[in-house]
Amino acid sequence: MNRFLVVFLSLLVSSVFAYIDEYANLGEQASSIKVSGKVFHESPSIIRKMHPELLRHKRNKTLRKGIRTNEYSLKGCVSCHVNKNKINNQYYSVDKKGQFCSDCHKKVGVSFDCFSCHRTVPRESLL
Amino acid sequence: MNKTLNRRDFIKIMNATTTGVAIVASGITLTTFASVNEIPVTNKKRWGLLIDTNKLTETDIDGMVNACQQEQGWGTETHSTASQKPGWIKKLKVKDKATNKVSNLALMCQHCEEPPCVDVCPTNASMKREDGIVLVDKHLCIGCRYCMMACPYDARSFVHETLNNQKEHMPRGKGTVEACTMCVHKIDKGETPACVESVNSEAVIFGNLYDESSQINQTLKIIQSSQIRSDLNLNTGVRYSGI
Repeated sequence: MNRFLVVFLSLLVSSVFAYIDEYANLGEQASSIKVSGKVFHESPSIIRKMHPELLRHKRNKTLRKGIRTNEYSLKGCVSCHVNKNKINNQYYSVDKKGQFCSDCHKKVGVSFDCFSCHRTVPRESLL
Repeated sequence: MNKTLNRRDFIKIMNATTTGVAIVASGITLTTFASVNEIPVTNKKRWGLLIDTNKLTETDIDGMVNACQQEQGWGTETHSTASQKPGWIKKLKVKDKATNKVSNLALMCQHCEEPPCVDVCPTNASMKREDGIVLVDKHLCIGCRYCMMACPYDARSFVHETLNNQKEHMPRGKGTVEACTMCVHKIDKGETPACVESVNSEAVIFGNLYDESSQINQTLKIIQSSQIRSDLNLNTGVRYSGI
């Protein structure tokens, strides 16, 4: 019985750490926005669950109908959630280990191939 | 009746006017933004190019190719062989056998009204927008290259190697087909394609073929122009004069 209790408690504690870990690397701009209290997404739980559908819908609208809004654009995700290397002033790619996109995707074991075609850092002029 | 405004009435009137103006102004700004970005493209427009081969010099064509490479980020592939490298615009020399007259053509995707590439695509990745621009939906492209075989202009190319640092507005990736997009990202913002901007003379005109007041429409009405392989009845969006 005690053994079960230990297992249960360790699961509980690890899930708490996992929850904290989700905020580990939000990206610099996104973190400062979060601190300031402004919210762009509906809610973190919706955006976490729905972002593939939202992006898919937006990509079809953009490509096939020419509707180019900032909402749910992958460019927007990248430019807000990217981190910069303080030493050489270069951006880290958002799909690299420990960065915003790969952080979660690795945790849940879901592969993503957006960035085999899309740019992983904000546009050149921002560098 | 006392006609003079007291302080309280003045403030009331001013408040009402300011709110009114603010509402109207915000309405106007909202519709202006909406008209640019949020309304889907329609078939009321048909984008086209008119290329005057008499005015277009070889340097102009090189400039067009460079401008396209700069804008869209192709041409820096290191591992591809010469025949594998993408070419969104090509410089083509056409020689009249009788007179030896050489015309230089800038050949890109012709943005057909009846595109063979769209007909043959098994996944609907090859597609034509309502305003006549033919594109590849790389999310759906499986890289079968059937469209490349079907295209009579050899306008499409295939990405053979892993790429990074693509342009933000032009995602490109290994295993997909690509071609001239007529700089669709610029057109949607109301700008002109990069190759057209790079030519200083009037040799390349871009515009809406259906718009009676556009320069391209008016020029096409008065001069002799042709479509390449017009016998195929594809009704191309890119027209040439002087050949």
